[in-house]
Amino acid sequence: MWKTLIKPPISTLTRRTLTHSISLQLLEQNIIQSQNQPHFSTLYTFTTTERPTISKTPKIHFIRSSEFLGNTSGFCSVEETSCCWNCKTQKRFLICESCGCVQPVDHSVDYFRIFGLERKFDIEDGSLEGIYKNWQKKLHPDLVHTRSKEEREYAAEQSARVIDAYTTLRKPLLRAIYLMRLEGVEVDEEQTVSEPELLGEIMEVREAVEEATDSQALKNIQSQMEEKLRHWSNSFANAFGSKSYDEAIKSIQRMTYYHRVNEEIVKKL
Amino acid sequence: MSEEVGYTVASDSETTATKEELETEIAIGIDIGTCQCSLAVWNGSEVELIRNTRNQKLMKSYVTFRDQSPSPVGGVTNQLSHEYDMLSGSSIFNMKRLIGRLDTDPIVHQASNTLPFLIQTLGIGAKPFIAALVNNMWRSTTPEEVVAIYLVELKALAEARLKRPVRDVVLTVPAAFSRFQLTRIARSCAMAGLHVLRFMPEPAAVALLYAQQQLQLHKDSIADSGSEKIGLIFNMGAGYCDVAIIATAGGVSQMKALAGSCIGGEDLLQNTMHHLVPDMDTRFASRGLEEIKAMGILRVATQEAIHKLSFQPSVQIDIDLGNGTRVCRVIDVQEFEEINKRVFEKCASLVTQCLHESKVAKPEYIDDVILVGGCTNIPKLKNIVMGICKRNENYSGINSLEAAVRGAALEGALASGVNDPFGSLDLLTIQINAHSIGIRADGNSFVPIIDRNTTLPARREMLFTTAHDNQTEALIVVYEQGDDHEKQQQQLLLGYFKVVGIPPAAKGVPEINVCMDIDASNMLRVMAGVVMPGSGTKNPVVPLMEVRMPTADDGHGLCADALYRSLGSTLDLVTLHNKLNA
Repeated sequence: MWKTLIKPPISTLTRRTLTHSISLQLLEQNIIQSQNQPHFSTLYTFTTTERPTISKTPKIHFIRSSEFLGNTSGFCSVEETSCCWNCKTQKRFLICESCGCVQPVDHSVDYFRIFGLERKFDIEDGSLEGIYKNWQKKLHPDLVHTRSKEEREYAAEQSARVIDAYTTLRKPLLRAIYLMRLEGVEVDEEQTVSEPELLGEIMEVREAVEEATDSQALKNIQSQMEEKLRHWSNSFANAFGSKSYDEAIKSIQRMTYYHRVNEEIVKKL
Repeated sequence: MSEEVGYTVASDSETTATKEELETEIAIGIDIGTCQCSLAVWNGSEVELIRNTRNQKLMKSYVTFRDQSPSPVGGVTNQLSHEYDMLSGSSIFNMKRLIGRLDTDPIVHQASNTLPFLIQTLGIGAKPFIAALVNNMWRSTTPEEVVAIYLVELKALAEARLKRPVRDVVLTVPAAFSRFQLTRIARSCAMAGLHVLRFMPEPAAVALLYAQQQLQLHKDSIADSGSEKIGLIFNMGAGYCDVAIIATAGGVSQMKALAGSCIGGEDLLQNTMHHLVPDMDTRFASRGLEEIKAMGILRVATQEAIHKLSFQPSVQIDIDLGNGTRVCRVIDVQEFEEINKRVFEKCASLVTQCLHESKVAKPEYIDDVILVGGCTNIPKLKNIVMGICKRNENYSGINSLEAAVRGAALEGALASGVNDPFGSLDLLTIQINAHSIGIRADGNSFVPIIDRNTTLPARREMLFTTAHDNQTEALIVVYEQGDDHEKQQQQLLLGYFKVVGIPPAAKGVPEINVCMDIDASNMLRVMAGVVMPGSGTKNPVVPLMEVRMPTADDGHGLCADALYRSLGSTLDLVTLHNKLNA
């Protein structure tokens, strides 16, 4: 741990900031917060409507630069050789397949590869949890307590990355945004929405949610929202499959809106 | 609490130094309960509870102070001739409810009114004064010291049984414990020459035991070994109540939601005592020998009555409190439940809250309801939990009084790197954070950065900006959010530091990034840096700050007010709004 203290400050902050930009974490956090923090609803009402969760011009410039620094910051000094640091065989992934040692984070391995999935939107429900737990059994810091300091550091990073991967892939909206990022497209759903009918619709739904007096009414709206979410998820999958990224971004923006309405409903329920 | 904290205390750093030599030492599991304690260790093939010389697996938690040597003695070695011995003013107990709490805490106030030893509270946000009666003189001590004395006895017992030195321990703690309370317990351990390898929330320990049992179950039956089981753990002992939702498959338990509160059998006892003697707080306030004796009689009688009410519809109480006061009446179950309505409501709300936050869509999806802790014998409590979960039978595979310590011993073996050839240690609990951690911003609001129920290890960051034009410094005040949902939100100060050197600019322009990191050993670090947008550079303008928390020490209840009084809002922060939409 002391190592991190005497490193250049950036590596301290970037140690576990993985290849996906920080804004994705902010979105994730936003979602969790608005769901888990009903007591701060006053504090967060603005964040669900106004705060940019995904931005083309990331605000945390120095963190963002970690993507490029990732391999040179010294801390994650991934030698570009594909050999296990311990037994020098070539069969390494998150762990070495021949000696079982935890390997340093390789940012070229994307979340889909970690879960042995193709890089596409549709994934089988429930297929993630088992793989997630299997990785944690090999990587979790609790289980490598007696290994070398280096390996424990690797385990902490790898395990954190698997958690990030799991939470990202599990949620359709985050998964969609991540997929686009892998294709080199950053999504900013706030910036480009200018369609009056969509905005109007959302306003109406929000009002309905606010005015709803009983949980049955809320549940009705919720099932409508879930229907919409399904529709636009499918539409994203198709658009992404045919590489029509403008259409895909449009779907993500709608998913975001309906997702937020859903959150508000959950808060009220 | 890994080796990083080692240097703070002499006995602790010693532990670190010799750690390499003791490579094969298996950490023992300790469950320090409000009322009872237990010890367990992995013996090479299974978990074994360590018994004391009187063949007890569960030992009463108390320490008696006395004049003659050896002095003082705890419940591990001492033999009580009668329960009253513990209530003579010379014994300190219920430490788990007092450790790391301030004299402004309602829990401490209640304790000071109902416990037979001395707890003085001045209500200023400092540590309460605690004393035991020795030869008709109040002798001061501290909760940390009492726990340490007790731990020394546990350590000696373990060493005698295992015939080796014992240093590394896995300690179970209530989910409701604050980080500050954890530092106090760690302090006690260091005083006793123990090194805390892990603190484990009690439900997390139970989850590990459950994972092992499920793994073994499926090994025998091979069928559907991959299927995931959802469990609800309800744990209520004398001092605390914890609820957790877990998802278990293949020996791995993922915690989904965790909630806890300082509510337990002691509250049931206090409420019932107040019901029997409504003026007890003033009547016993002087703590003379007569009063202490009367308190002891009342406590023992009430305790027995509550126990009996778990098995029979009503109970007769007939006690003489001296000075011509006699309490003679019958209490039935209905009355008992009415007296403690709020306690039961609180338990119900913890369970519903946990279910809601775990996103397990329906209670019907829960496969097993796991009841742990002495209070789950109370029919009303059992009914509440089973009712919410819509189940008739609870999980029967575990001993409700030993589950936590057994889980801790399993974790001790895992963390010590023990491998079991039969795969019974092929286990893991993936833990979550029980409290939100955030900073003060947007006026006087708490803004969470790491939310509760976030999988650990975790790292989150958030952007803030200045509240005033040309503000060059910002104060980062870090709080942990207590989870008492019914009372007003409790925020506990963990520490504070300043970010300096912010270039003069209009308010809202500088970007202050606050990052929080909880590592695998549950160490919290808070980092902060300043970036000026549009300055062309991607680097922070001043060196980043990295602070390990908590930094606050005893008396931290005073700090928050003091900070506010002396600094006002001059160093405030606000969360960063979207500039595009502004």
